[in-house]
Amino acid sequence: MYADTQNDITRQVVRVAQLLLAYGAESELVEEISQRLGQALGLASVEISISSNSLVLTSLVHGRCITTTRRIREHGINMTIICELQRICLLTEKGIYGLNEVRKRVSRIQPKSYPRRYLVPMIGLSCGSFCHLFGGDTMAVLITIFASSVGMSVRLAIAKHHFNLLVNFAVTAFITTLVAQMGYHLQLTDTPMLPMAASVLMLVPGFPMINAISDMVKGHLNVGISRWGHATLLTVSSVIGITIAMQLGGLFL
Amino acid sequence: MMDLLLKLLNDAAFSAVPAVGFAMVFNVPRRFLPYCALAGALGHSLRTLLLHFGMPIEWCTFAAAALVGVLTIGFAKKHLAPPLMYAVAAIIPMIPGTYAYNTVIALVQLSAQSEVSPELTAEVISNGLKTIFILGALSVGLAMPSLLYFRTRPVI
Repeated sequence: MYADTQNDITRQVVRVAQLLLAYGAESELVEEISQRLGQALGLASVEISISSNSLVLTSLVHGRCITTTRRIREHGINMTIICELQRICLLTEKGIYGLNEVRKRVSRIQPKSYPRRYLVPMIGLSCGSFCHLFGGDTMAVLITIFASSVGMSVRLAIAKHHFNLLVNFAVTAFITTLVAQMGYHLQLTDTPMLPMAASVLMLVPGFPMINAISDMVKGHLNVGISRWGHATLLTVSSVIGITIAMQLGGLFL
Repeated sequence: MMDLLLKLLNDAAFSAVPAVGFAMVFNVPRRFLPYCALAGALGHSLRTLLLHFGMPIEWCTFAAAALVGVLTIGFAKKHLAPPLMYAVAAIIPMIPGTYAYNTVIALVQLSAQSEVSPELTAEVISNGLKTIFILGALSVGLAMPSLLYFRTRPVI
């Protein structure tokens, strides 16, 4: 294998690993896919070191090493892309794809997300179901649906303008709680606490938390801890939003 | 008996909705959404069933998450997609959101008043411990198949 071929293969592999991390895959999966893809494309071995915001990858062929570093910027969770990358890896392993096809498919990847006209009502219904499962009455469920739909549209609107995620969560939690307090002030429901608890559940950082613990369990301790820290920060910032809204509504102390 | 069955059905229906909703937030491709709903419904109703028999919530959650883990590995093998894609959406209904919410609200109240009150402290500690242990049970339960069975080989 020539040096520039190795260069080329390493670039594709590190691009795949970078995309996987940026769109929220767990470290074990990133390591597995990049090693399998590299070996399928003809590298002898691929070693990878992941930290919280960058990754270093070394490929080895015929006693010749190439090491390269990439910066990772979080792009939010997108399972469609991770699924696509996993499929590219499997097809390459089966010998259906060569380097050129891999390059073509990786360069064609575009992050697509569901349009907001589906997302907003679905999240409203989800939080409504939470409220129902916690034992809220019909009025409480309706308040939850309304509050979390408003909150979700605020969240999407802020996310569109590329604000910091922490700011986004704080503002969203503030507005959601402000709307959900309606049950208290208008006395529409017998369980006014439940809409407030259920409607902010859309802000629970479930994916970072699960990823964090499963990284730590599988031995990627530093990535796991940094993800855990990120999840904690997100929770704290939504709590700040909730607190301000509750104090404005006069529900505290 | 009939009551329990109705309760489980109600549970399954209302936990399938958040599973799909959050799967959409995570941009799971549309053709996999029904599988997320199925895994979420089965997991949450297993948890409710075990809670009905008086087991502690941490163990119920662990068993339900292990069931979701096994189910999603089956789905993953069928569709050649990473198992965590289905699993994280499916366990969202079991995330201890209210416990976490009560913990931090009590914490904020504790910091707002200038003295330490035993009730609020007790609330922070008990709710906080529940949150951490349920989260741990969820993710270790999910990882169970790969910790016990797929130790040295990849799932797909």
